[in-house]
Amino acid sequence: MNKKNFALLILLGLMVGPMAQAQIKHIEMRVEGMT
Amino acid sequence: MKQHLGRQSGVQTVEVSLLDGKVDVTPKEDGHIEPAQLLKATYDSGVTAAEMDMTARGKIVKDSSGSLALQVAPNQAFAFAPNELSKGLESLAGTPTMVTVHGRLYKKSAGTKKPDPSTRLTLLILEVQKKE
Repeated sequence: MNKKNFALLILLGLMVGPMAQAQIKHIEMRVEGMT
Repeated sequence: MKQHLGRQSGVQTVEVSLLDGKVDVTPKEDGHIEPAQLLKATYDSGVTAAEMDMTARGKIVKDSSGSLALQVAPNQAFAFAPNELSKGLESLAGTPTMVTVHGRLYKKSAGTKKPDPSTRLTLLILEVQKKE
């Protein structure tokens, strides 16, 4: 792999990396009518 | 209801507390979970959702209509219901800063039993937990 491709790969990782950590962590509901 | 919700895509675990009517849903680590689908599944299981709160981590973006939103996946973003906390995040729009917020996605209005699936869920921020 030449230097240019390697640099592109690093750049892509920097762009995608933070988004990969984005997520819904928890959902809490209050419900009515549950028996 | 636990089984109903547990079958939804992206759901890891569902904890139901009969005593206080609370349902905790933990998404899979890398799964895509759709809160509107959870509301529908809750209704389909025969109970009424009164409130739905969410804790999520993502980037602040401006959506197509120019409103601020929390982007949690490339194809999933929740527009903020404007309040003081959402105004405080405006400067982070379009930056790579990741923000963890806790907020309300749904609150049943008086006399409503079934959540309207056509209504877009907006996130009313109750707490900004982390900026990094």
